[in-house]
Amino acid sequence: MKTANIFALLISLLLPGVAHYAEAEEEDKLKFSGFTRVVLGYLDDKNAEYVGYDNSISFDQQSLLGLQADYTFNDQLSLTGQVIGHTGEQRSSGLEWLYLTYTPSKALRIKLGKQRIPFFNYSDSLDVGFAYPWLTLPQQFYDTAFFSTFEGVLANYEYVFDNWVMNFEGYWGRYDDKIYLASGEIDTQVTGLYGFNTSAAYNNWTFRAAYNEGNANLTLPGAAQFVEVLNQFGFSQSAETLNPDGLIRFYQLSANYENLNYFVRSEVAKMVGESGPVPDIDSFYISAGYNFYPYTLYISYGERDVYYDHPANEIPYGISPDLDVLAATYESVLAGFPDDKSQGTKIGLRWDWRYNLALKGEVTYVHADKVSNDFALKDLGNFDGSAVLYQLGIEWVF
Amino acid sequence: MGILVKKYLACLVLWYFVFSTAAHAAQSVMVVANTGDQSIQLNRQQVRSLFMGGVIPYQLKAVALPPENHTRVLFNTKIIGLTESRIQSYWAQMRFTGRKRAPREFENETSLLQFLLRNVGATGYLPAGMDVPEQLTVIYTIP
Repeated sequence: MKTANIFALLISLLLPGVAHYAEAEEEDKLKFSGFTRVVLGYLDDKNAEYVGYDNSISFDQQSLLGLQADYTFNDQLSLTGQVIGHTGEQRSSGLEWLYLTYTPSKALRIKLGKQRIPFFNYSDSLDVGFAYPWLTLPQQFYDTAFFSTFEGVLANYEYVFDNWVMNFEGYWGRYDDKIYLASGEIDTQVTGLYGFNTSAAYNNWTFRAAYNEGNANLTLPGAAQFVEVLNQFGFSQSAETLNPDGLIRFYQLSANYENLNYFVRSEVAKMVGESGPVPDIDSFYISAGYNFYPYTLYISYGERDVYYDHPANEIPYGISPDLDVLAATYESVLAGFPDDKSQGTKIGLRWDWRYNLALKGEVTYVHADKVSNDFALKDLGNFDGSAVLYQLGIEWVF
Repeated sequence: MGILVKKYLACLVLWYFVFSTAAHAAQSVMVVANTGDQSIQLNRQQVRSLFMGGVIPYQLKAVALPPENHTRVLFNTKIIGLTESRIQSYWAQMRFTGRKRAPREFENETSLLQFLLRNVGATGYLPAGMDVPEQLTVIYTIP
């Protein structure tokens, strides 16, 4: 599968004619476009893994190919499909978007179908590396949302007031797929999934605020059986702590500034998991860049703090051997949900070599106070908490 | 002798006119629309919004010149206020998230002008100083 994806990437890069598609007649009813990225990475620490990279050079972690087809029925109605082939193990390849767009006016747009969830500024364009300055998005921030797509309806309304351009967006739907943690994949259903966000642009400033929530049902067979046993023994509080089903809420605020020469981008988010096995996460990043066309030099700093509720063990020791086993098992299961805290600092250069092709180089210093192995940073044994990731990449849209 | 001096002066004036017009054109752009209402005037923020796919109070549709075009470079610098690479990355994000489409592009100013003349509501930018046919309206010029 990996070899096939890489082969497809190379073939696509070698096809010179495809690059000119953007210039084709826009009035065609059926339009094809796409994006691809080839990312090379090397981590300087043999005791850790970060964003899938280890102590060897590899280009099969973030490289991908995306193809999009748009069919326009008329001025108001169109159909869009997007498939993505990933080389990385933490993402599944396949259909990412398939939706109908109804545009009754230039201000209002309604999309129905499978779409990306607009949690944060780049949540719906994570794979389009050409769309952002960094080679790897600030990982401490963008490694937060476990499910990325939904099936449902999304409406977007734009309103201009004086020199303010206001954008209101809301969606409602469900998610029924796997979520991919560094430690494994979990079958997940999210129902009652909805969110709304508002962005306001004024001169060189853009502000955004978002709220999202969904009822997550995680399929953890071992945990479900153990919860049943706890309930049978009457330890309902402990059972509730290990119940993987519950509401997850996401809050986000963002402020960006950009002009011809400089940019500053920042986001801060909080995720609240009501159930025991879903953590709370506080995260933010701030990034600044200097443009000297066709180059952009940038720096970025991000932090993430993942923490679980750590309730006291209500199961007593020393009453009976059965209870001792139960208490010990409960504590060992809780130990499987460790906190995680890390910071990432990066510096990078983007070179827009052609108007649709950019080359990037980036160095990221990651430091962890606590490593859970559930996120991008993994301790392979004896990891001292700090590592440097070196990356080179090509971003192309066509 | 007098005739020669007059011819020389006339050449000088013409040369000055052409040169100054060309020099002016190289430094400035105007936004031109095919609109029945010739009283329409936009401010810079509205022009920026129109060419970045946003909403404005008028039924206008933006068309553009290709990335390497000098008029486009001036337009990006003086009105949009972003580099070409930032504009390209903005449109990549808009396209692949199904939000907005970049304005249709024309090879050069002449073909863009022809399109403006044929399509009501079409709005494009041209070098300041370029002759604009009567049926088109200049809706914004850089102060």
